Amino acid sequence: MKGDMIRTIRPLGITLLILVVLEIISTALLPMMGFIKYRIPFNVLLVLYVGLKLETPYTSIIILILQYTHSFFSIEGWEMGTISGVLICIVIGYLKDLLHLTSNVMTVFVVQMFQFLWFTIVSILVYLKEDSLTYIVEKFWRFLPESIFLSLIAPFFISILDTIWQIREDRVLEGSI
Amino acid sequence: MRLIEDRERRQRAVLNVIVLLISFIGVAKRSYVVEQTSPFENLLIDSFAPVQDSVTSFRSRVSSFFDHYLMNIGASKDNYLLKSKVKELENQIYKLSEVARENKRLKRLLQFGDEIAYKKILAQVVAWDASSDFRVIRINKGLKDGVSLQSPVITSQGLVGYIYRLTDHFADILTVLDGNNRVDGLIKRVRAHGIVEGFNNEKSIMKYVSRAEPIILGDIVMTSGLGNIYPKGINIGSVSKIERESYGITQKVEITPAVDFGRLEEVAILSSEGDEQKRREWNALDEMEDNDSAVNIGSSR
Repeated sequence: MKGDMIRTIRPLGITLLILVVLEIISTALLPMMGFIKYRIPFNVLLVLYVGLKLETPYTSIIILILQYTHSFFSIEGWEMGTISGVLICIVIGYLKDLLHLTSNVMTVFVVQMFQFLWFTIVSILVYLKEDSLTYIVEKFWRFLPESIFLSLIAPFFISILDTIWQIREDRVLEGSI
Repeated sequence: MRLIEDRERRQRAVLNVIVLLISFIGVAKRSYVVEQTSPFENLLIDSFAPVQDSVTSFRSRVSSFFDHYLMNIGASKDNYLLKSKVKELENQIYKLSEVARENKRLKRLLQFGDEIAYKKILAQVVAWDASSDFRVIRINKGLKDGVSLQSPVITSQGLVGYIYRLTDHFADILTVLDGNNRVDGLIKRVRAHGIVEGFNNEKSIMKYVSRAEPIILGDIVMTSGLGNIYPKGINIGSVSKIERESYGITQKVEITPAVDFGRLEEVAILSSEGDEQKRREWNALDEMEDNDSAVNIGSSR
Protein backbone atom coordinates (compact mmCIF):
# COMPACT_ATOMS: atom_id res chain seq x y z
CA MET A 1 0.00 0.00 0.00
CA LYS A 2 2.84 2.34 0.97
CA GLY A 3 4.63 1.48 -2.26
CA ASP A 4 1.46 2.23 -4.19
CA MET A 5 1.36 5.73 -2.70
CA ILE A 6 5.04 6.38 -3.48
CA ARG A 7 4.49 5.23 -7.08
CA THR A 8 1.66 7.77 -7.31
CA ILE A 9 3.75 10.80 -6.28
CA ARG A 10 5.91 11.13 -9.44
CA PRO A 11 3.11 10.89 -12.03
CA LEU A 12 0.95 13.13 -9.83
CA GLY A 13 3.71 15.76 -9.83
CA ILE A 14 3.91 15.65 -13.66
CA THR A 15 0.10 15.80 -13.93
CA LEU A 16 0.06 18.86 -11.66
CA LEU A 17 2.72 20.49 -13.83
CA ILE A 18 0.59 19.81 -16.94
CA LEU A 19 -2.45 21.26 -15.15
CA VAL A 20 -0.54 24.45 -14.23
CA VAL A 21 0.71 24.91 -17.82
CA LEU A 22 -2.79 24.34 -19.24
CA GLU A 23 -4.36 26.71 -16.70
CA ILE A 24 -1.83 29.41 -17.65
CA ILE A 25 -2.66 28.94 -21.34
CA SER A 26 -6.38 29.02 -20.55
CA THR A 27 -6.25 32.08 -18.27
CA ALA A 28 -3.50 34.21 -19.82
CA LEU A 29 -3.04 33.31 -23.48
CA LEU A 30 -6.55 32.52 -24.73
CA PRO A 31 -8.31 35.59 -23.17
CA MET A 32 -5.61 37.87 -24.60
CA MET A 33 -6.37 36.39 -28.02
CA GLY A 34 -10.02 37.33 -27.64
CA PHE A 35 -11.50 34.13 -26.14
CA ILE A 36 -13.22 35.89 -23.26
CA LYS A 37 -16.56 34.09 -23.17
CA TYR A 38 -15.33 30.51 -22.99
CA ARG A 39 -12.62 28.97 -20.84
CA ILE A 40 -11.45 25.37 -21.26
CA PRO A 41 -11.77 23.57 -17.89
CA PHE A 42 -8.76 21.25 -18.23
CA ASN A 43 -9.07 20.34 -14.55
CA VAL A 44 -12.32 18.49 -15.36
CA LEU A 45 -10.55 16.33 -17.93
CA LEU A 46 -7.72 15.46 -15.53
CA VAL A 47 -10.17 14.61 -12.73
CA LEU A 48 -12.20 12.42 -15.11
CA TYR A 49 -9.00 10.64 -16.13
CA VAL A 50 -8.25 9.90 -12.47
CA GLY A 51 -11.75 8.47 -12.05
CA LEU A 52 -11.77 6.47 -15.27
CA LYS A 53 -8.27 5.03 -15.29
CA LEU A 54 -6.64 4.91 -11.86
CA GLU A 55 -7.33 2.08 -9.50
CA THR A 56 -5.73 3.37 -6.35
CA PRO A 57 -7.56 3.98 -3.07
CA TYR A 58 -6.20 7.54 -3.10
CA THR A 59 -8.31 8.81 -6.02
CA SER A 60 -10.24 11.22 -3.77
CA ILE A 61 -6.98 12.68 -2.41
CA ILE A 62 -5.58 13.05 -5.96
CA ILE A 63 -8.80 14.81 -7.04
CA LEU A 64 -8.57 17.10 -4.01
CA ILE A 65 -4.96 18.01 -4.88
CA LEU A 66 -5.84 18.67 -8.55
CA GLN A 67 -8.81 20.84 -7.59
CA TYR A 68 -6.80 22.70 -4.95
CA THR A 69 -4.18 23.55 -7.61
CA HIS A 70 -7.00 24.70 -9.93
CA SER A 71 -8.29 27.04 -7.18
CA PHE A 72 -5.15 29.20 -7.51
CA PHE A 73 -6.37 30.14 -10.97
CA SER A 74 -10.06 30.49 -10.23
CA ILE A 75 -12.20 31.91 -7.48
CA GLU A 76 -14.61 28.98 -7.86
CA GLY A 77 -12.51 27.16 -5.25
CA TRP A 78 -11.72 23.47 -4.95
CA GLU A 79 -14.83 22.26 -3.14
CA MET A 80 -17.51 21.83 -5.83
CA GLY A 81 -15.12 20.20 -8.30
CA THR A 82 -13.87 17.82 -5.60
CA ILE A 83 -17.42 16.78 -4.69
CA SER A 84 -18.30 16.21 -8.38
CA GLY A 85 -15.05 14.33 -9.01
CA VAL A 86 -15.41 12.00 -6.00
CA LEU A 87 -19.10 11.30 -6.75
CA ILE A 88 -18.23 10.55 -10.38
CA CYS A 89 -15.48 8.17 -9.20
CA ILE A 90 -18.08 6.34 -7.08
CA VAL A 91 -20.41 6.09 -10.12
CA ILE A 92 -17.52 4.85 -12.29
CA GLY A 93 -16.76 2.25 -9.59
CA TYR A 94 -20.23 0.78 -10.11
CA LEU A 95 -20.07 0.98 -13.92
CA LYS A 96 -16.48 -0.17 -14.40
CA ASP A 97 -17.45 -3.46 -16.08
CA LEU A 98 -19.42 -1.55 -18.71
CA LEU A 99 -16.83 1.14 -19.47
CA HIS A 100 -14.09 0.25 -21.95
CA LEU A 101 -12.18 3.12 -23.50
CA THR A 102 -11.07 0.94 -26.40
CA SER A 103 -11.73 3.34 -29.27
CA ASN A 104 -11.51 7.12 -29.72
CA VAL A 105 -15.26 7.40 -30.37
CA MET A 106 -16.03 5.53 -27.17
CA THR A 107 -13.61 7.76 -25.19
CA VAL A 108 -15.24 10.93 -26.58
CA PHE A 109 -18.70 9.59 -25.73
CA VAL A 110 -17.82 8.47 -22.18
CA VAL A 111 -16.00 11.73 -21.36
CA GLN A 112 -18.98 13.74 -22.67
CA MET A 113 -21.44 11.71 -20.57
CA PHE A 114 -19.42 12.19 -17.39
CA GLN A 115 -19.09 15.90 -18.13
CA PHE A 116 -22.90 16.06 -18.20
CA LEU A 117 -22.92 14.34 -14.81
CA TRP A 118 -20.30 16.83 -13.56
CA PHE A 119 -22.45 19.73 -14.79
CA THR A 120 -25.54 18.26 -13.08
CA ILE A 121 -23.79 17.84 -9.71
CA VAL A 122 -22.23 21.32 -9.82
CA SER A 123 -25.58 22.85 -10.89
CA ILE A 124 -27.36 21.23 -7.93
CA LEU A 125 -24.69 22.59 -5.58
CA VAL A 126 -24.88 26.06 -7.17
CA TYR A 127 -28.67 26.01 -6.91
CA LEU A 128 -28.51 25.01 -3.24
CA LYS A 129 -26.01 27.78 -2.52
CA GLU A 130 -27.21 30.62 -4.74
CA ASP A 131 -30.92 29.74 -5.16
CA SER A 132 -30.79 30.86 -8.80
CA LEU A 133 -31.89 28.93 -11.89
CA THR A 134 -31.06 31.65 -14.43
CA TYR A 135 -27.39 31.27 -13.56
CA ILE A 136 -27.54 27.53 -14.28
CA VAL A 137 -29.30 28.04 -17.64
CA GLU A 138 -26.67 30.61 -18.62
CA LYS A 139 -23.93 28.23 -17.45
CA PHE A 140 -25.39 25.41 -19.57
CA TRP A 141 -24.94 27.34 -22.84
CA ARG A 142 -21.28 27.89 -22.02
CA PHE A 143 -20.87 24.31 -20.83
CA LEU A 144 -21.97 22.81 -24.18
CA PRO A 145 -19.16 24.09 -26.45
CA GLU A 146 -16.54 23.84 -23.68
CA SER A 147 -17.44 20.21 -22.91
CA ILE A 148 -17.58 19.19 -26.58
CA PHE A 149 -14.10 20.63 -27.11
CA LEU A 150 -12.80 18.75 -24.05
CA SER A 151 -14.39 15.48 -25.22
CA LEU A 152 -12.82 15.84 -28.66
CA ILE A 153 -9.32 16.31 -27.27
CA ALA A 154 -9.84 13.62 -24.60
CA PRO A 155 -8.37 10.65 -26.61
CA PHE A 156 -5.14 12.57 -27.22
CA PHE A 157 -4.93 13.67 -23.60
CA ILE A 158 -5.70 10.26 -22.22
CA SER A 159 -2.94 8.69 -24.29
CA ILE A 160 -0.43 11.22 -22.88
CA LEU A 161 -1.66 10.65 -19.33
CA ASP A 162 -1.53 6.87 -19.86
CA THR A 163 2.19 7.23 -20.59
CA ILE A 164 2.72 9.38 -17.51
CA TRP A 165 0.78 7.06 -15.20
CA GLN A 166 2.25 3.97 -16.96
CA ILE A 167 -1.11 2.41 -17.64
CA ARG A 168 -0.76 -0.51 -20.03
CA GLU A 169 -4.04 -2.34 -19.82
CA ASP A 170 -7.47 -0.80 -19.68
CA ARG A 171 -7.97 0.90 -16.27
CA VAL A 172 -5.07 -0.72 -14.44
CA LEU A 173 -2.25 1.25 -12.82
CA GLU A 174 0.96 -0.66 -13.45
CA GLY A 175 2.20 -2.44 -10.36
CA SER A 176 -1.06 -2.15 -8.49
CA ILE A 177 -2.62 -5.23 -7.02
CA MET B 1 -6.08 -11.59 -2.26
CA ARG B 2 -9.72 -11.01 -1.44
CA LEU B 3 -8.74 -9.67 2.00
CA ILE B 4 -6.39 -7.12 0.42
CA GLU B 5 -9.09 -6.07 -2.06
CA ASP B 6 -11.59 -5.61 0.77
CA ARG B 7 -9.09 -3.56 2.74
CA GLU B 8 -8.42 -1.34 -0.31
CA ARG B 9 -12.12 -0.91 -0.93
CA ARG B 10 -12.72 0.04 2.71
CA GLN B 11 -9.83 2.48 2.66
CA ARG B 12 -11.13 4.05 -0.55
CA ALA B 13 -14.63 4.39 0.95
CA VAL B 14 -13.29 6.00 4.15
CA LEU B 15 -11.14 8.47 2.16
CA ASN B 16 -14.09 9.29 -0.14
CA VAL B 17 -16.32 10.05 2.85
CA ILE B 18 -13.66 12.20 4.55
CA VAL B 19 -12.88 14.19 1.36
CA LEU B 20 -16.61 14.65 0.62
CA LEU B 21 -17.26 15.88 4.16
CA ILE B 22 -14.40 18.39 4.02
CA SER B 23 -15.61 19.58 0.60
CA PHE B 24 -19.22 20.03 1.75
CA ILE B 25 -18.04 22.09 4.72
CA GLY B 26 -15.88 24.09 2.28
CA VAL B 27 -18.85 24.74 -0.04
CA ALA B 28 -20.99 25.91 2.88
CA LYS B 29 -18.24 28.25 4.06
CA ARG B 30 -17.18 29.62 0.67
CA SER B 31 -17.99 33.27 0.07
CA TYR B 32 -18.04 34.82 -3.38
CA VAL B 33 -17.98 38.34 -1.92
CA VAL B 34 -14.47 38.47 -0.55
CA GLU B 35 -11.72 35.91 0.17
CA GLN B 36 -8.84 36.01 2.63
CA THR B 37 -5.93 33.89 1.41
CA SER B 38 -3.62 31.85 3.64
CA PRO B 39 0.18 32.41 3.50
CA PHE B 40 0.54 29.10 1.58
CA GLU B 41 -2.03 30.19 -1.04
CA ASN B 42 -0.31 33.59 -1.21
CA LEU B 43 2.99 31.90 -1.95
CA LEU B 44 1.57 29.70 -4.70
CA ILE B 45 -0.49 32.42 -6.38
CA ASP B 46 2.56 34.71 -6.28
CA SER B 47 4.59 31.91 -7.93
CA PHE B 48 2.12 31.13 -10.74
CA ALA B 49 0.95 34.68 -11.50
CA PRO B 50 4.36 35.95 -12.77
CA VAL B 51 4.23 33.20 -15.42
CA GLN B 52 0.74 34.38 -16.42
CA ASP B 53 2.15 37.92 -16.46
CA SER B 54 5.06 36.99 -18.73
CA VAL B 55 2.76 35.08 -21.13
CA THR B 56 0.49 38.13 -21.34
CA SER B 57 3.35 40.59 -21.86
CA PHE B 58 4.95 38.34 -24.49
CA ARG B 59 1.68 38.29 -26.40
CA SER B 60 1.39 42.13 -26.01
CA ARG B 61 4.93 42.56 -27.37
CA VAL B 62 4.17 40.40 -30.39
CA SER B 63 0.94 42.26 -31.15
CA SER B 64 2.68 45.61 -30.56
CA PHE B 65 5.32 44.61 -33.13
CA PHE B 66 2.59 43.88 -35.67
CA ASP B 67 0.62 47.04 -34.79
CA HIS B 68 3.54 49.47 -34.78
CA TYR B 69 5.81 48.19 -37.52
CA LEU B 70 3.85 46.09 -39.95
CA MET B 71 0.48 47.85 -39.89
CA ASN B 72 1.89 51.35 -40.34
CA ILE B 73 0.17 52.10 -43.64
CA GLY B 74 -1.76 55.37 -43.55
CA ALA B 75 0.00 56.62 -40.42
CA SER B 76 0.57 60.16 -41.73
CA LYS B 77 -3.13 60.56 -42.50
CA ASP B 78 -4.02 59.34 -39.01
CA ASN B 79 -1.43 61.71 -37.58
CA TYR B 80 -3.06 64.72 -39.26
CA LEU B 81 -6.53 63.70 -38.03
CA LEU B 82 -5.30 63.05 -34.50
CA LYS B 83 -3.53 66.42 -34.33
CA SER B 84 -6.75 68.24 -35.16
CA LYS B 85 -8.59 66.11 -32.59
CA VAL B 86 -5.99 66.97 -29.92
CA LYS B 87 -6.58 70.67 -30.54
CA GLU B 88 -10.32 70.14 -30.19
CA LEU B 89 -9.86 68.20 -26.95
CA GLU B 90 -7.52 70.84 -25.55
CA ASN B 91 -10.29 73.36 -25.98
CA GLN B 92 -12.71 71.05 -24.21
CA ILE B 93 -10.27 70.48 -21.34
CA TYR B 94 -9.94 74.21 -20.86
CA LYS B 95 -13.73 74.55 -20.67
CA LEU B 96 -14.02 71.60 -18.28
CA SER B 97 -11.28 72.90 -16.00
CA GLU B 98 -13.29 76.10 -15.65
CA VAL B 99 -16.35 74.04 -14.73
CA ALA B 100 -14.30 72.01 -12.22
CA ARG B 101 -13.03 75.17 -10.55
CA GLU B 102 -16.56 76.55 -10.38
CA ASN B 103 -17.80 73.22 -8.96
CA LYS B 104 -15.13 73.31 -6.26
CA ARG B 105 -16.06 76.85 -5.27
CA LEU B 106 -19.77 75.99 -5.09
CA LYS B 107 -19.11 72.83 -3.06
CA ARG B 108 -17.04 74.77 -0.59
CA LEU B 109 -19.82 77.33 -0.44
CA LEU B 110 -22.38 74.65 0.35
CA GLN B 111 -19.98 72.83 2.74
CA PHE B 112 -20.74 69.61 0.91
CA GLY B 113 -18.76 67.38 3.28
CA ASP B 114 -15.19 66.16 3.13
CA GLU B 115 -14.21 64.33 -0.01
CA ILE B 116 -12.05 61.29 0.57
CA ALA B 117 -8.83 61.62 -1.36
CA TYR B 118 -8.18 58.41 -3.31
CA LYS B 119 -4.75 57.30 -4.34
CA LYS B 120 -4.72 55.72 -7.81
CA ILE B 121 -2.60 52.60 -8.23
CA LEU B 122 -2.12 51.63 -11.87
CA ALA B 123 -2.06 47.92 -12.70
CA GLN B 124 -1.95 45.65 -15.71
CA VAL B 125 -4.33 42.77 -16.39
CA VAL B 126 -2.32 39.54 -16.40
CA ALA B 127 -5.00 36.84 -16.60
CA TRP B 128 -8.67 35.92 -16.42
CA ASP B 129 -10.33 33.39 -14.14
CA ALA B 130 -9.86 29.74 -15.12
CA SER B 131 -13.61 29.12 -14.96
CA SER B 132 -15.98 30.81 -17.41
CA ASP B 133 -18.58 30.89 -14.59
CA PHE B 134 -16.77 33.80 -12.98
CA ARG B 135 -15.84 37.14 -14.53
CA VAL B 136 -12.69 37.74 -12.53
CA ILE B 137 -9.44 39.28 -13.71
CA ARG B 138 -5.99 39.08 -12.18
CA ILE B 139 -3.78 42.18 -11.97
CA ASN B 140 -0.08 42.62 -11.22
CA LYS B 141 -0.41 44.78 -8.09
CA GLY B 142 -0.96 43.52 -4.55
CA LEU B 143 -0.66 44.19 -0.85
CA LYS B 144 2.94 45.44 -1.15
CA ASP B 145 1.83 48.10 -3.67
CA GLY B 146 -0.78 49.50 -1.27
CA VAL B 147 -3.81 47.62 -2.60
CA SER B 148 -6.35 46.46 -0.02
CA LEU B 149 -9.29 44.02 -0.12
CA GLN B 150 -12.54 45.46 -1.52
CA SER B 151 -10.81 48.52 -3.02
CA PRO B 152 -12.75 49.80 -6.05
CA VAL B 153 -11.16 49.35 -9.48
CA ILE B 154 -11.84 51.69 -12.41
CA THR B 155 -10.64 52.72 -15.86
CA SER B 156 -11.08 56.01 -17.67
CA GLN B 157 -14.31 54.54 -19.11
CA GLY B 158 -15.90 53.60 -15.80
CA LEU B 159 -16.26 50.97 -13.09
CA VAL B 160 -14.46 47.61 -13.38
CA GLY B 161 -15.19 46.01 -9.98
CA TYR B 162 -13.51 45.52 -6.62
CA ILE B 163 -10.60 43.57 -5.16
CA TYR B 164 -11.85 40.10 -4.19
CA ARG B 165 -8.64 38.21 -3.41
CA LEU B 166 -5.24 39.63 -2.61
CA THR B 167 -1.66 38.39 -2.34
CA ASP B 168 1.56 40.33 -1.82
CA HIS B 169 2.10 41.06 -5.53
CA PHE B 170 -1.14 40.15 -7.33
CA ALA B 171 -4.88 40.67 -6.87
CA ASP B 172 -8.12 39.24 -8.29
CA ILE B 173 -10.90 41.66 -9.27
CA LEU B 174 -14.55 40.64 -9.13
CA THR B 175 -15.87 42.58 -12.13
CA VAL B 176 -19.32 44.16 -12.50
CA LEU B 177 -20.12 41.40 -15.03
CA ASP B 178 -19.99 38.75 -12.29
CA GLY B 179 -23.28 37.76 -10.66
CA ASN B 180 -21.67 37.88 -7.22
CA ASN B 181 -20.81 41.57 -7.56
CA ARG B 182 -23.69 43.79 -6.47
CA VAL B 183 -23.39 47.57 -6.73
CA ASP B 184 -25.88 50.14 -5.53
CA GLY B 185 -26.53 52.12 -8.70
CA LEU B 186 -28.16 55.43 -9.44
CA ILE B 187 -29.71 56.46 -12.74
CA LYS B 188 -28.16 59.85 -13.40
CA ARG B 189 -31.10 61.56 -15.10
CA VAL B 190 -33.95 60.51 -12.80
CA ARG B 191 -31.94 59.72 -9.62
CA ALA B 192 -33.58 56.29 -9.31
CA HIS B 193 -31.82 53.68 -7.13
CA GLY B 194 -31.36 49.99 -7.88
CA ILE B 195 -28.93 47.11 -7.42
CA VAL B 196 -26.64 46.45 -10.39
CA GLU B 197 -25.69 42.79 -10.69
CA GLY B 198 -23.54 40.95 -13.23
CA PHE B 199 -25.52 38.88 -15.73
CA ASN B 200 -23.30 37.55 -18.52
CA ASN B 201 -20.09 38.37 -20.36
CA GLU B 202 -21.46 41.56 -21.85
CA LYS B 203 -24.34 42.80 -19.70
CA SER B 204 -25.32 43.61 -16.13
CA ILE B 205 -28.86 43.97 -14.82
CA MET B 206 -30.31 46.57 -12.50
CA LYS B 207 -32.82 45.13 -10.05
CA TYR B 208 -35.39 46.62 -7.69
CA VAL B 209 -36.00 49.78 -9.73
CA SER B 210 -39.51 51.05 -9.08
CA ARG B 211 -41.94 50.62 -12.01
CA ALA B 212 -42.89 54.27 -11.70
CA GLU B 213 -39.39 55.52 -12.60
CA PRO B 214 -39.41 56.99 -16.15
CA ILE B 215 -36.21 55.31 -17.31
CA ILE B 216 -35.36 55.47 -21.02
CA LEU B 217 -32.82 53.67 -23.20
CA GLY B 218 -29.38 55.22 -23.04
CA ASP B 219 -29.75 56.57 -19.49
CA ILE B 220 -26.42 56.65 -17.67
CA VAL B 221 -26.06 54.54 -14.52
CA MET B 222 -23.47 55.50 -11.90
CA THR B 223 -22.48 54.33 -8.42
CA SER B 224 -24.58 55.81 -5.63
CA GLY B 225 -21.89 55.62 -2.96
CA LEU B 226 -24.03 53.38 -0.73
CA GLY B 227 -22.61 50.05 0.38
CA ASN B 228 -19.27 51.35 1.64
CA ILE B 229 -17.22 49.98 -1.27
CA TYR B 230 -17.51 52.33 -4.27
CA PRO B 231 -17.30 56.12 -4.14
CA LYS B 232 -20.26 58.02 -5.59
CA GLY B 233 -20.40 59.05 -9.24
CA ILE B 234 -18.38 56.37 -11.05
CA ASN B 235 -19.89 55.51 -14.43
CA ILE B 236 -21.18 51.92 -14.49
CA GLY B 237 -22.78 51.90 -17.94
CA SER B 238 -25.88 52.81 -19.89
CA VAL B 239 -29.40 51.35 -20.07
CA SER B 240 -29.71 49.06 -23.09
CA LYS B 241 -33.01 47.25 -22.41
CA ILE B 242 -36.03 47.84 -20.18
CA GLU B 243 -38.55 45.12 -19.27
CA ARG B 244 -41.80 46.17 -17.63
CA GLU B 245 -44.16 43.28 -16.92
CA SER B 246 -47.90 43.83 -16.68
CA TYR B 247 -47.62 42.94 -12.97
CA GLY B 248 -45.21 43.62 -10.11
CA ILE B 249 -43.82 46.80 -8.61
CA THR B 250 -40.37 46.81 -10.20
CA GLN B 251 -38.87 46.85 -13.70
CA LYS B 252 -35.89 44.92 -15.01
CA VAL B 253 -33.23 47.12 -16.54
CA GLU B 254 -30.36 45.72 -18.60
CA ILE B 255 -27.11 47.68 -18.55
CA THR B 256 -24.23 47.67 -21.00
CA PRO B 257 -21.09 48.37 -18.94
CA ALA B 258 -19.10 51.46 -19.86
CA VAL B 259 -15.88 49.44 -19.73
CA ASP B 260 -15.01 47.28 -22.73
CA PHE B 261 -13.93 44.15 -20.86
CA GLY B 262 -12.82 42.46 -24.07
CA ARG B 263 -10.04 45.01 -24.51
CA LEU B 264 -9.17 45.65 -20.88
CA GLU B 265 -5.42 45.94 -20.37
CA GLU B 266 -4.80 48.54 -17.67
CA VAL B 267 -6.86 49.49 -14.64
CA ALA B 268 -6.59 51.89 -11.70
CA ILE B 269 -7.23 50.81 -8.11
CA LEU B 270 -8.64 53.46 -5.82
CA SER B 271 -7.00 53.18 -2.45
CA SER B 272 -7.58 55.48 0.49
CA GLU B 273 -6.79 55.79 4.17
CA GLY B 274 -10.51 55.39 4.68
CA ASP B 275 -10.37 51.75 3.51
CA GLU B 276 -8.88 50.60 6.81
CA GLN B 277 -11.50 52.53 8.73
CA LYS B 278 -14.25 51.02 6.55
CA ARG B 279 -12.94 47.52 7.27
CA ARG B 280 -12.91 48.18 11.00
CA GLU B 281 -16.51 49.42 10.76
CA TRP B 282 -17.57 46.26 8.89
CA ASN B 283 -15.76 44.03 11.39
CA ALA B 284 -17.41 45.83 14.29
CA LEU B 285 -20.84 45.38 12.64
CA ASP B 286 -20.14 41.66 12.01
CA GLU B 287 -19.08 41.18 15.63
CA MET B 288 -22.23 42.94 16.84
CA GLU B 289 -24.35 40.68 14.59
CA ASP B 290 -22.58 37.56 15.90
CA ASN B 291 -23.09 38.67 19.52
CA ASP B 292 -26.79 39.39 18.85
CA SER B 293 -27.35 35.98 17.28
CA ALA B 294 -25.52 34.29 20.20
CA VAL B 295 -27.75 36.15 22.69
CA ASN B 296 -30.87 35.17 20.70
CA ILE B 297 -29.88 31.49 20.66
CA GLY B 298 -29.16 31.64 24.43
CA SER B 299 -32.51 33.29 25.25
CA SER B 300 -34.48 30.86 23.03
CA ARG B 301 -32.93 27.97 24.98
